[in-house]
Amino acid sequence: MPHDDLRGFLDALDGQGQLLRITDEVLPEPDVAAAANAVPRLGDAAPALYFDNIRGFTNARIAMNVHGSWANHALALGLPKKTGTKEQVEEFIRRWERFPVEPEWRENPLWAENTLEGDDVDIFQVLPLIRLNDGDGGFYIDKAAVVSKDPDDPEHSGKQNVGIYRIEVKGRRKLALQPVPVHDIALHLRTAEERGEDLPVAIALGNDPVISIVASTPMLYEENEYELAGALRGAPAPIARAPLTGLPVPWGSEVVIEGVVEGRRREIEGPFGEFTGHYSGGRSMPVIRVDRISHRTDPVFEHLFLGMPWTECDYLIAANTCVPLYQQLKADFPEVQAVNAMYTHGLVVIVSTKKRYGGFAKAVGMRVLTTPHGLGYASTVIVVDEDVDPFNLPQVMWALSTKMNPSGDLITVPNLPVMQLAPQAQSPGLVDKLIMDATTPVPPDDRGHYGNQVRDLPEAAEWLDRLQRLADRG
Amino acid sequence: MTAPPRVCPRCADETVEHIFASPVPGVWDVLQCGRCLYMWRTSEPARRSSRDAYPDGFRMTADEIENASEVPTVPPLRSPLA
Repeated sequence: MPHDDLRGFLDALDGQGQLLRITDEVLPEPDVAAAANAVPRLGDAAPALYFDNIRGFTNARIAMNVHGSWANHALALGLPKKTGTKEQVEEFIRRWERFPVEPEWRENPLWAENTLEGDDVDIFQVLPLIRLNDGDGGFYIDKAAVVSKDPDDPEHSGKQNVGIYRIEVKGRRKLALQPVPVHDIALHLRTAEERGEDLPVAIALGNDPVISIVASTPMLYEENEYELAGALRGAPAPIARAPLTGLPVPWGSEVVIEGVVEGRRREIEGPFGEFTGHYSGGRSMPVIRVDRISHRTDPVFEHLFLGMPWTECDYLIAANTCVPLYQQLKADFPEVQAVNAMYTHGLVVIVSTKKRYGGFAKAVGMRVLTTPHGLGYASTVIVVDEDVDPFNLPQVMWALSTKMNPSGDLITVPNLPVMQLAPQAQSPGLVDKLIMDATTPVPPDDRGHYGNQVRDLPEAAEWLDRLQRLADRG
Repeated sequence: MTAPPRVCPRCADETVEHIFASPVPGVWDVLQCGRCLYMWRTSEPARRSSRDAYPDGFRMTADEIENASEVPTVPPLRSPLA
C-alpha cells in the first residue's frame, strides 16, 4: 500500500521500529544537524529521527534521515526492511519497466489548509529552519521537490521537471536556488532568461517518500518524474494544481511554496556543505521571490543532512543513480550485467559486463562517459567481468588487483565536462576522466597470463543456503 | 540587559537586520548581515555567531562578495528576429 504523504510514511517507519523520537529538549543548532550527522553511523538499519521539542519553538516538528539507511529506503519502496542493496536496485529496475504511469489529479490537497500571500509571506512563521553545517551561509531547504516547466513548451508534461536543488533562505520571502547547469531546471531558467522572463516555480516540501526518490533520479529531459513515481509506487502518484502558478505538485505535501526565479538576477549565495563532502564557495546565484505559501497545520519540516559520506543524501541518491545508467547502457550493450553508481551521485561508476571481443570493456566505459548523467558526473569508471558483483567492493578490489595492468588498462580522457561542484576539477566544470578496465582480456587482446580462474565450486551455492539456515536456527 | 554589539561574524559588516524572534519570547533571534547575507541564530555556538570565534576558512571579504562567480551565467537575450 503506497503512502500518499510524509506522515503516513513516518507512521510506517514507527511501526517497523525505524523512527526514533527525540523527546528531550534539543537546541535548534547544533543538536538537530549533529544528530542527523551521527545517525547513519548506526549502520544499514539506522532510523529516521523526529524532533518536536526544540528550544525556542512552540509547534516545531522536524523529521531527519527519513531515507537515511537501506532499511528505510526499502520501506520507502514498500519492500521488507532487510532487503539487500543489490536486490533493491534490481527491484527498482523491474518497476521502472512499468514506466510511465500517469499521475492522478486529486481534489482537496492536504497542503491547502493554510495560506500566506504577498507581503504576509514569512517562511520563518511556517518552517523551523536550522543550519546544517558550520560554514553554511544560512538556513537551507535541501529536500524539497522544485517543480517548473519549459517556458518554450509549457504544455509538454514530459519537459516539466520535479527536482531537488539546494535552496538558501535569504529573507522572509526571498530564497536562493542552485540550478546546476547539467540539471533540467537550469535549462528551464536559461530559456526563461533568454526570453527576458521570470521562471515560475512551486517548491513542495515534506513529501511521500517516493516523490523524494524520483525528484533526485537523473531522468532524461523529456521523462516525467510523477510517471516514474507511479511506476515505483505501483499506483498513480496523487497530484494537485498549485493555486498561484498552476504547477502540478504532490497532493500530500506538507508545504507548497510558490513564486518565481527572478530572471537575469544573481546575488551572493552560500557556501553550503554539499553532497561531495566539501563546501561550495560563495557564488552569485539566482534569487526566488516567494509570493504564496500553502501548508498543513503544524507542518512537519522534512530536512536532509549531508556531509562526510555516508549520510542520508548518499542513501537517497544511490539506487536511483544506478538504475537509469544501467538502462541506458543496456540499451546499447546487452552484455552489461549491473551498474553501481552509488558513490557521490555517480562520480565513480562500476560496471560489470560480458565481453564481445577484445577492447569491448573499454568501449562500455567510454559509453558511460557519454550517457546523459555520466556527462556531468562519471569521472572514474571501473569496468569488471560479468562474474564480479559491482556492489561487492572486495570483489571489485580483487578485479583491480589482478585484472588491471596500468600499461594498457587506464584510459584518461582530458577536459571533459563535470558538474561544477566536483572539487577535483582543474577548473570548475572541467575534469580529466578515467576508465579502468579491470576485465579479463579476451581475443584478440592477449595480454596477461590468466590461464584458468578459480571459480566457486558448483556445490557452494547450495552450501551457502544450508549454512545460512543453520546459522539462523542457531 | 545591554544588547550585544551587532557585527556580522562572517564579513564584519555592521548592517545587521533582525529577521525573526523565537516563538517562545526571548530565547533567540535570527539575524542577517546586509552585505554578505550571512544568517545566524543568536543561540548558535560562538564558532558560527561571534566574529572573534568565526573560522578563518569561512570568512568573506568585500572583494570576494563583489567578485563571486556567477552560477549559472546570465545568457544573452534572444534577438526579436530569432
